[in-house]
Amino acid sequence: MEIYLPIAEQSMNIFVLLALGGAAGLLAGMFGVGGGFLATPLLIFVGIPPAVAVASQANQVVANSISSLQVQWRRGNVDLRMGLILLLGGMVGSSAGVTLFTYLKRIGQIDFVIAVTYVVMLSAIGLLMMYESLSTWLKRRRNPEAPRGKLHTHYLVHRLPLKMRFYKSKLYISALLPLGLGFLIGILSAILGVGGGFVLVPAMIYLLGMPTTVVIGTSNFQILFVAANVTFLQAVTNGTVDVVLALLLIVGGVIGAPIGARLAAKLPGVVLRGLMAVLILAVAVELLTELLRTPASQYSIGFREVVP
Amino acid sequence: MRRAALLVMALLWASAASAQRAEPPTGSLPGDPRGLPPSVPAAPATPDLIVDLSQPRVSITSAFQGETLLLFGMFDPPGEIVVVVQGPAARETVLRKERFLGLWLNTGRQAFDDVPAYYYIAASQPVQRLLARGTGGEILSLADRMASVRSVGTREDADLIRFRVGLVEVKRREGLYPAAIGQVSVQANRLFRVELPFPSRLPEGIYDVRAYLLRQGRIVAAVSRPLPVGKVGFSAQLAGWADHEGPLYGLGAIAMALLVGWLGGAVMRRL
Repeated sequence: MEIYLPIAEQSMNIFVLLALGGAAGLLAGMFGVGGGFLATPLLIFVGIPPAVAVASQANQVVANSISSLQVQWRRGNVDLRMGLILLLGGMVGSSAGVTLFTYLKRIGQIDFVIAVTYVVMLSAIGLLMMYESLSTWLKRRRNPEAPRGKLHTHYLVHRLPLKMRFYKSKLYISALLPLGLGFLIGILSAILGVGGGFVLVPAMIYLLGMPTTVVIGTSNFQILFVAANVTFLQAVTNGTVDVVLALLLIVGGVIGAPIGARLAAKLPGVVLRGLMAVLILAVAVELLTELLRTPASQYSIGFREVVP
Repeated sequence: MRRAALLVMALLWASAASAQRAEPPTGSLPGDPRGLPPSVPAAPATPDLIVDLSQPRVSITSAFQGETLLLFGMFDPPGEIVVVVQGPAARETVLRKERFLGLWLNTGRQAFDDVPAYYYIAASQPVQRLLARGTGGEILSLADRMASVRSVGTREDADLIRFRVGLVEVKRREGLYPAAIGQVSVQANRLFRVELPFPSRLPEGIYDVRAYLLRQGRIVAAVSRPLPVGKVGFSAQLAGWADHEGPLYGLGAIAMALLVGWLGGAVMRRL
């Protein structure tokens, strides 16, 4: 069944879009990250213009994060102080990101920048996660009784000024860290249309040293507002948010998320992280081959303007 | 027999005229009623060419998947029919990918002015034969029409041609320049019909539908009709808000996402 998307200005199969949203929701439920990193490239792959895919995906992330934040908030898994500081950085970052996006679209390089940023981000994170889960798995196999180590290790970054106490995360670190992290995630969110959970979650665990229990809730909190900001700014400056497209993705996601959560409950954490690493790497490789392969047609039409 | 034909003609004419009255082009864009070309002799006493469309406009609804319109009419034999449909002209920027450090990157760009959003030509005889006899530049094949498209800025000729070819290639892929020259089928030597294919990804605006009657390579009659193409209903409403009420549309989109996400999450967890 086809439906006409009024902003993308083309018709598309309803079930393809629902399935796409469902796959993103499944990932969200399984791994606690938005799944946008998978949905956006796939939307572009099925022929949605990248600018519309990114902006509408940001709209979907809003729905996705409110629905998981609901649960996390009730369980008290949100470090509000950390969340607000991340958010402050995120707001500035996403506003700058939308401006950058508009500029790149204008000069006709947005597709390329989206693809390259995806390849770099995804392969870095995929490799890191792969390394981490493999080494954990090997260590456990060799010596199952091994102590779990310190609560968190101290790196150079812990010497930065403006130190703040984060009670819920049991941390005493510089506020500049979450601020900068939030800023970077904001830019990513604006350019890639993702919540940024797939970067934010590992960064909060490995870089900030936050306990895993509060990571998901806190990142959801930040992502909700940043995605809302991106949606709003994209609608105002580029007019590329397609609500029909977003609604279909959201409905698919709402159905997929609990299925993912149930699957996740049955699998151990190491396996789950390993699986996710494989998935991330697969998307990165696919995007990279797109960039390297000789295109079917060298030409495309950038934009159309009616000149009086 | 002659009388019957005249009667049919009159009836058809009346229905065409009433159709035009009943369904004025309702598109919001400024019309382009260029009227009849100069090469057409001033209004003949009895019309030699009558044309109507199966629909007065192309409506892009939520279920729109592209559409095929039927153009039909009647003419005074002898003669040949050529139909040209043109979308509104605009400036289009063509991008070209080139290999850069192993990656394919948009490095070249060229803008063209006066590019028709859509171009379709159909004829009752092979077009080359009709056009070769010269119609005063009135009827252009796609290649001739594209040759007249103005490039913006300066560029080496050979390269400009490649961009022009690229532009046609992209438009053709999108179904906006249907590759083949359509066949106008003629029946009983005076009735004709042709199908006009419109793809799903169709730019909005007032399209220009023209039918020509040619005799010995000269245009003896021409009919021009505007064909509004636009979104209607829900799609039109949404696109209108997105265009004119950006902030409101953005807030609406966020509210929708919050509501559906919240309710959906709550409902699915109960199941």
